[in-house]
Amino acid sequence: MLDRGRISSVQLLLLLIIVDAATAFLFGPTAAIQLAGRDSWLSVSVIASAFGLAVALVCIALARRFSQQVFTAYLPQILGKIPGKILAAAYAAVFIHYTAVILNQGSTFIHVAFLRDTPPMILDIIAILAVIYAVYLGIEVIARQNEIVWPVWILSLVVIFILAAKEINPHNLKPFLENGIMPVLKGGLLICPFRGEVFILLMLFPYLNQKQEAIKTAGYFLLAQTVVPALIAATIVGVFGDVVPAALAFPAYNLARYISVAQFLERIQVLIVVMWMAGVIIKATVFFHSAAVAAASTLGLKNYQVTVLPIAVAVVAISKVFYGTHLQLTDFLFKIWPYYGFAVELLIPAVILLIAIIRKKGGKNKP
Amino acid sequence: MVPFFKWLGKIIGRSGDMAAGYSLKPGDPGYEEQRALTSQLDKNLKILTDIFRLCDDLIIREIIIGRGKQQVRAAIIYLDPLINYSQLQQSLMRSLLAVEELPRPGISADWLLKKVLGNGSVSEEEKWVEVSDGINRGAVCLLLEGLNKALLVKTREKTSRPVGQPVTETVFRGPSDAFVEDVRTNLALLRKRLPTSRLAVEDLEVGEITKTKIKLVYLKGYVIDGLVAEIKERLRRIKIDGIVGSGQVEELIEDCPYSPFSTCEATERPDKLAANILEGRAALVFDNTPFALLMPVTLAAQIQSPQDYYERYWYSSFIRLLRWVSLLIALLGPSLYIAVITFHHELLPTSLLMSIIIAREGIPLPAFAEALLMELIFEVLREAGLRLPRAFGQTISIVGAIVIGQTAVNAGLASPAMVIVVSLTAIATFTIPSPSMANSIRILRFPLMVFAASFGLIGLLLAASVLTSHLCSLRSFGVPFLSPLAPLTFSDLKDTLIRAPSWKMRLRPRLTGYADPQRQNAGIKPRPPVVKGKTSVKRRGKK
Repeated sequence: MLDRGRISSVQLLLLLIIVDAATAFLFGPTAAIQLAGRDSWLSVSVIASAFGLAVALVCIALARRFSQQVFTAYLPQILGKIPGKILAAAYAAVFIHYTAVILNQGSTFIHVAFLRDTPPMILDIIAILAVIYAVYLGIEVIARQNEIVWPVWILSLVVIFILAAKEINPHNLKPFLENGIMPVLKGGLLICPFRGEVFILLMLFPYLNQKQEAIKTAGYFLLAQTVVPALIAATIVGVFGDVVPAALAFPAYNLARYISVAQFLERIQVLIVVMWMAGVIIKATVFFHSAAVAAASTLGLKNYQVTVLPIAVAVVAISKVFYGTHLQLTDFLFKIWPYYGFAVELLIPAVILLIAIIRKKGGKNKP
Repeated sequence: MVPFFKWLGKIIGRSGDMAAGYSLKPGDPGYEEQRALTSQLDKNLKILTDIFRLCDDLIIREIIIGRGKQQVRAAIIYLDPLINYSQLQQSLMRSLLAVEELPRPGISADWLLKKVLGNGSVSEEEKWVEVSDGINRGAVCLLLEGLNKALLVKTREKTSRPVGQPVTETVFRGPSDAFVEDVRTNLALLRKRLPTSRLAVEDLEVGEITKTKIKLVYLKGYVIDGLVAEIKERLRRIKIDGIVGSGQVEELIEDCPYSPFSTCEATERPDKLAANILEGRAALVFDNTPFALLMPVTLAAQIQSPQDYYERYWYSSFIRLLRWVSLLIALLGPSLYIAVITFHHELLPTSLLMSIIIAREGIPLPAFAEALLMELIFEVLREAGLRLPRAFGQTISIVGAIVIGQTAVNAGLASPAMVIVVSLTAIATFTIPSPSMANSIRILRFPLMVFAASFGLIGLLLAASVLTSHLCSLRSFGVPFLSPLAPLTFSDLKDTLIRAPSWKMRLRPRLTGYADPQRQNAGIKPRPPVVKGKTSVKRRGKK
């Protein structure tokens, strides 16, 4: 295996939560509220988590058959050498692309929210330096770093909930399901690929030191990710109603700006954004690590660190060329990604699982 | 050729690879030392004077033992500065000269050892290497006519100062003895605290010339097996001419040599050493330096002070938390100030912001340059205070800080807010109990300031993120440096962010103490005595 690190199930759980949520609650609510209105909390939680559950089950079922290898390493065993290698290369590219999108989400957010004079590309470059270093050090270090970052990151959300609580108007959330279930479903579909990022399990599973805990971890993860986004969406609607946030670029950021306590603790949104960005860095690091491992295992290299620098260049380039502006990014996130994400996160792994079952590849039901 | 040198190396008692580097010719220093002693006194003395021909402080005294026909010529040889005269007189000279009758079969080393010499530590040697080594270390050498052995009598003069107070780690309540420059005294201080035969003391020696004595100490059964072997292996790899302080050894055995953080902890407190050994750590106690090295060590351990365990736990927990906050202030203080003043004014309440801006109005420097200037001035003052003779040190550094701070503000070089930030940072740095940790923080402050000045809080975040990655990757003898925090060990948090009461500390720290996890019995929490008819009986009955 390319990275000999081992992570515990708690570390995996924290990683999955941050991987899923770090960017989702910035970009997700606007789109969900545009479609689902005041019921958007239902779409970001239940609908998206149902998709997440499907993805997690497929990924774990597949990963259990090859519990000591990463996804790209066992693809050739399932599909045969050449098609397997091609798909593995494609997945390496997918991970690189995801990293670019995540990094771009972070830099776009900072650029739009407050560092307006700094080009996003500069932010991308300095962020990727931090990411590269962590990727070099391996998955164990990333998991530990996450244990340090996680309390900071969750604290920012807790602070917002507590301090914005007095502004919440519960009547904004009524009436419930006014327009039926369809808008909620549509809004949920836009959020699905965010939740589906849990397909990173395909690359993280081999590092888990107690493989039988994977299902439980995924369960806790989905539970957390059903409650937290619902709370965020409900708070946004509760504070702003269902019309205003549909026009806001980052409603969660506006929520942070809304905080004012005793005329002293106000305008602290920058601090909160910084805490969020700590989460984005971790998320980008996890995907970058997977991209590096995927590329190295596809090319049959002895260590994955070699691939880090080329991938870093590719990531910055993709981020700059394809998603130069906020509009390009949201266009991708809500018009293309629902299809593309559905394919790479659920469809392809499911088909491969099916093939593996039919061709009887990999150990059966091994923990 | 190589086996020959290895064999030669064995003969002369040095490690093979050092001897393989060169071969000795007659006349080279050390050539004579390869050989064994002869049984002729004159020849032996000639060789010995040849070995020590550069040392004018070598004293050779010839004496005669016994009376009449039986008398035997002998010589006493020693290096003048190293020996203790009264011991030499009393136990050696007097007893040798008092010998009246020699045994029948002639004089023998065994007889001398058993009958004549009243000293505690006498050894007999047959090779010049050992003899010259012994003399160099302060032994008195006794050579006899007709005996191809030398007797080495240890009468070493104590050149160390008496046990004093710790200089770098002071506590309010607790023992105040500290290690000294003599390894025997240091071990005595430790043995006094851990009077058990499980306390292992292994002799090690580092340095071809200095032959520095290092004692590896640990509690058998408490320490993890691999640790001791690993430490010995790392020390064995050191091939160096000399070691003069424990800092050198620290740098030579570290896990991550490029890190700004030290992964061994130096301490001069025997109580701290004993407590850490009880937690399953190992330590190196040195000759010639009062600082012992503890390993493995974590960030959390460097935030602990012995005082925490001597004070009440409520207070200790408060102080512990305060120290963590100070650590953050020491690290991030100036860079946060720079970021806020340069990029994020809105974070400050309006009135505070106004007063800061008004105070900064006449300042010609940007906040970053101002901070850099003041931090550097402070570091210079601190260093100067350290170098100055002790009598001036503190006074001058305080006066210097006040005068320079005050005049810098008056002259419009720095704003009062900046002076506050710098002095707060400085004071916060001094709350960190471990000096090496404080130094690492001092260094790291500057790159963080650069990032904060370039990209504001985001830059600071990224720099902090790199720093966190580094800290997470750091290991000290296999133990993760951030260990109870990341990876999280929930039960060890009792002694990390806070200090739990002593009766709660049932288990040793997991990563160093898992060889024997239990420290004390459960339920040793003190409770009032049971009085019949009172409520406490009921409570007990329930249990």
